[in-house]
Amino acid sequence: MYNPIKIRVENLTFSYHKTPIFENVSLDFEAQTITAITGPSGRGKSTFLSILNRLWESQPVARMQGKVWIYLDGQWIDIYSRTLSKPDLRRKVGMVFQTPNPLPMSIYKNMAFPLKLTGMADKALVEAKITRALEQAFLWDEVKDRLNDSALGLSGGQQQRLCIARALVSQPEILLLDEPTSSLDTGAASVIEDLLVSLKERCTLIVVSHYLEQVSRIADTALKLKAREFRQV
Amino acid sequence: MKIRILGGCLRMFSWGAVLLLTGSVLVLLGYLLVKGVPSLGRELIFGQVDVLDAVLLRKRVFDGLFPAIAGTLSVVLLSVGLAIPVGVCAGIYMSEFATVLQQRVFGLMFDILAGIPSIVIGLFGFSGAIFIHKYVSNDFRPCMAVSVVALAFLVLPYITRTTQASLQGLSIQIRQAALALGATRVQNIFYVLLPQSFSGILSGIILAIGRCAEDTAVIMLTGVVATAGIPGSLLGSYEALPFYIYYISSQYTDSAELMSGYGAAIILLGVCAILFLLAFIIKRQLAGPAGPEPGRFYV
Repeated sequence: MYNPIKIRVENLTFSYHKTPIFENVSLDFEAQTITAITGPSGRGKSTFLSILNRLWESQPVARMQGKVWIYLDGQWIDIYSRTLSKPDLRRKVGMVFQTPNPLPMSIYKNMAFPLKLTGMADKALVEAKITRALEQAFLWDEVKDRLNDSALGLSGGQQQRLCIARALVSQPEILLLDEPTSSLDTGAASVIEDLLVSLKERCTLIVVSHYLEQVSRIADTALKLKAREFRQV
Repeated sequence: MKIRILGGCLRMFSWGAVLLLTGSVLVLLGYLLVKGVPSLGRELIFGQVDVLDAVLLRKRVFDGLFPAIAGTLSVVLLSVGLAIPVGVCAGIYMSEFATVLQQRVFGLMFDILAGIPSIVIGLFGFSGAIFIHKYVSNDFRPCMAVSVVALAFLVLPYITRTTQASLQGLSIQIRQAALALGATRVQNIFYVLLPQSFSGILSGIILAIGRCAEDTAVIMLTGVVATAGIPGSLLGSYEALPFYIYYISSQYTDSAELMSGYGAAIILLGVCAILFLLAFIIKRQLAGPAGPEPGRFYV
């Protein structure tokens, strides 16, 4: 049985400094699954993620052709349409980076930051959303008594879970994770893996990972990026 | 062996350079203190006028440095206050919005502006004042407003360049954190990038304060005079400590007058130290919460 398609990439060609990274790539990603992308370093795995939320556009030397469609709110949306706002897209397509990047502020303010960007001022609602996101990220019990402490004082694993929780607070439909466990020890990585599997119910996840064991543990589909093309493994 | 000798020479030379610099500062400060401290006192600042009367502007101080201190503080604060918004905005543009070509062209312009001798900027200020006097208002003449604008131009490149460098120095992780959460470019600048680079920007502002406080060439041509009293208006003349030091050292008639020049130099250093301290306190107050640097792991 197949899940409905959530993301469709059509004839994607991408170059950086006139060096081709992808050539004529077409791919579908199923909803509420975990797709892992593996492959050698420097081949464009992270770049592929940034194409799905348009974060690559801050690089002036990159060029893209092709279409990326995402099924959002009951309709297919061309994410490179001029009418689509990038901030709105990125709230629906969250991203977590390889290195945890909590902002240098308290845990609470980190969590409230995405809501502040949307102008949400109802304190009770903000607190409820923060609590829920921290629970979803298995972090609530560890930080509930020190929400006003600096987020930079958390351990690496906690910081990464905070970043995942911060992405979840906007209730994204897709979550992109760029090697989320590569800088963590096995214990912290295992917690993150369990977390990702639990998030599958409410999100479509695309995870870049170097670890084949991890891919086999958590992924429903695995793609290998090789020679500017994706191949299913 | 050759590398070891070279390394030893480099270490010795570096150590000598640091020693030379530190020694120069200590000798300079020591010399100033030895020469200036005997003349320091209430009389040097307030003359024969009671302190309270002078501070509350009930009596004018004719033979003390109080008007020059007030003039220096006013000019420094107004110039830096004028230069900060313009300089920071220009730095934000250079870092966040300018294309590579624009960065090169505008960067070159800012570097040229930074390299213009202050006497030339003073001359431009003076010419501007003459122009306004001739074509706009006969009452207009070199005054504090002209000095403030000229000094602001003098320090603008420092603030712009340090703002640009601080913003561009932020890691890609910090730059992308807010964008990936749905922040607009402007929200990213105001909520994340500027607070993160505040420390660097403040360094530029501190540099600007020092430059404004010490510059004599600009103010000499644009409104400072030997005797003007407490500055009452932006359109009036004023006194300033660096000009007093220059004036006394070139015109003194006896050793007591020269000693008062050294005293004024110590007071100028003190004024700068207070402004630096204020900037430092602001930096500490507005700095983010304490914690390890982002990107390091404590699993």
